[in-house]
Amino acid sequence: MKLRPIPALVVVALMLAGALWQPHDPDAIDLAHRHAPNSWAHWLGTDQFGRDLLSRLMVGGWRTAIVLVCVAAIGMVGGSLFGILAAMLGGWRGGAILRAAEMFIVVPTLIVALTAAAIFGLSPLTAGVALGLAGVGPYTLFAHALAQRLLGQPYVQAARALGVGGLPLVLRHVVPNMAPVLFAHIGSNGGLAVTAYASLAFLGLGADPSRPDWGAMLFEYRMFLFDHPMLMVWPGLAIAVVAAVLNASFDAD
Amino acid sequence: MTLPVRITLRTIASLLAISLLAFAIISAMPSDPVAIAIRAWNLPVDGEIVAGLRAQWGLDRPFLERYAAWILRFFSGDWGLSFRTGEPVLDEFLRRLPLTLTIAFSGLTLALVAAVPLGFLAALKPRGLVDGVTRMLAVLVQAVPSIWLGLVFLWVLGVQLRWIRPFSRDWSGLILPIALIALHSLAVLTRVYRRDLIDISSQPFFRTALAKGLGRPAALWRHGHAHALYALLSAFRAEASWAVGSTAAIEVLFGLPGIGQFLVESIAARDYPVLQAYVMVVAGWLLLLNAGIAASLAWLGGRRA
Repeated sequence: MKLRPIPALVVVALMLAGALWQPHDPDAIDLAHRHAPNSWAHWLGTDQFGRDLLSRLMVGGWRTAIVLVCVAAIGMVGGSLFGILAAMLGGWRGGAILRAAEMFIVVPTLIVALTAAAIFGLSPLTAGVALGLAGVGPYTLFAHALAQRLLGQPYVQAARALGVGGLPLVLRHVVPNMAPVLFAHIGSNGGLAVTAYASLAFLGLGADPSRPDWGAMLFEYRMFLFDHPMLMVWPGLAIAVVAAVLNASFDAD
Repeated sequence: MTLPVRITLRTIASLLAISLLAFAIISAMPSDPVAIAIRAWNLPVDGEIVAGLRAQWGLDRPFLERYAAWILRFFSGDWGLSFRTGEPVLDEFLRRLPLTLTIAFSGLTLALVAAVPLGFLAALKPRGLVDGVTRMLAVLVQAVPSIWLGLVFLWVLGVQLRWIRPFSRDWSGLILPIALIALHSLAVLTRVYRRDLIDISSQPFFRTALAKGLGRPAALWRHGHAHALYALLSAFRAEASWAVGSTAAIEVLFGLPGIGQFLVESIAARDYPVLQAYVMVVAGWLLLLNAGIAASLAWLGGRRA
């Protein structure tokens, strides 16, 4: 098992930084410079309305980063809460939590997120919360396995024998030891969240299609597949690079 | 209780739990179905019609009663009328389901069949050619969304090489969607199979087999599969659930009239009967698959013991 958190954290920080500054207004329409080629003014060129592609990619970056932060936070808190609870309770109560968590594995996350987007509208926040909640089930099972193993460790059993139990045991011995692995596991699943959000934005669902989400850009620019393929290459590459870096942060092999 | 009974009971219980959850969430939606129907069907807004529709759909009765009535009607084949089209929802699903099932199951089956030999070859020679190629494929498909991969395939095969006609309406239009599902699942399942076979080669019984004079390939072939199938089938379960979501996106990308495309159109129109039916269809499909996998795992385990 290898953990490589630094590149993933750097990528997410860079994506969030896209909120602070862009070279151009991402929505500024400039019909005189439609489909402009790469230049110093427009590093990646412009789209069919003369909007600067790089600026739109940067805005899409921080919107995706919000999804990632939500998914990681909800998965981390929910997963470790229910996973540790199931491990500590054991017996039929622990089993019931695990059965419920297993049931959520069957539910396709993308469909949950689609439904949430239909009810609350598609925004990075709603998509992040929906994808995060849909991920709690699998993370609960993962956290349970980790907690179960930790509870069997000699030093934890020694602490138990000394009379440490309940919350102090969990906070002192279980959480600090499982948090890095759980976080890395969730981070590596962040790649899934990035592609899922791209799919959601691609499907649109009544969201404003001019919003510069990477997935929405794929949908918008797919019409120019024949004449200006680079327009859809860049957002796709952005998704792929971010997802690949996140996936690589945790290697189970 | 025998195992088949237990699996059947658990599947039915899960389906009921999911149906209750789906019904509760959809009932709690902020927008009123009567208001949507009036807008969709261009009815005059008048108190009598509103009350009539509410009574007709049973919206004036308590929640559990409504749920019981709905689930009974659902299992007797009355899935209600679509708010958007006014057509029976069941007919629409029956018309669209074959296409979606063809894409999803052809892709998954192709992947499952190819993953066993590829995973075996990769495990036979770690860091060899097959191992390297499947590793790269796995990194690729897990990072690249299938919609973009689909666009790139369209561009390379359709625009540059002109091997296929993009968005054609006959069977050839199904090749790319099936390939997209198969490629993702193939990469993931191959890695899982390889990892388990390699785990097995460090087990004591495997070393015994080697000590008795079997070569590594023969020993892995004879003793590996039964063990590695466990992990493969478990991973297959997760892949099947992934395939449901991706099929929806792929159907929209290629303009295929499957149930995923139907769902996306219906969500935009807040067509609740369709939404409920979709959740039930998908849950039923995945739970059936789960039950099948649980049964085959038990059968494998029983045979080995």
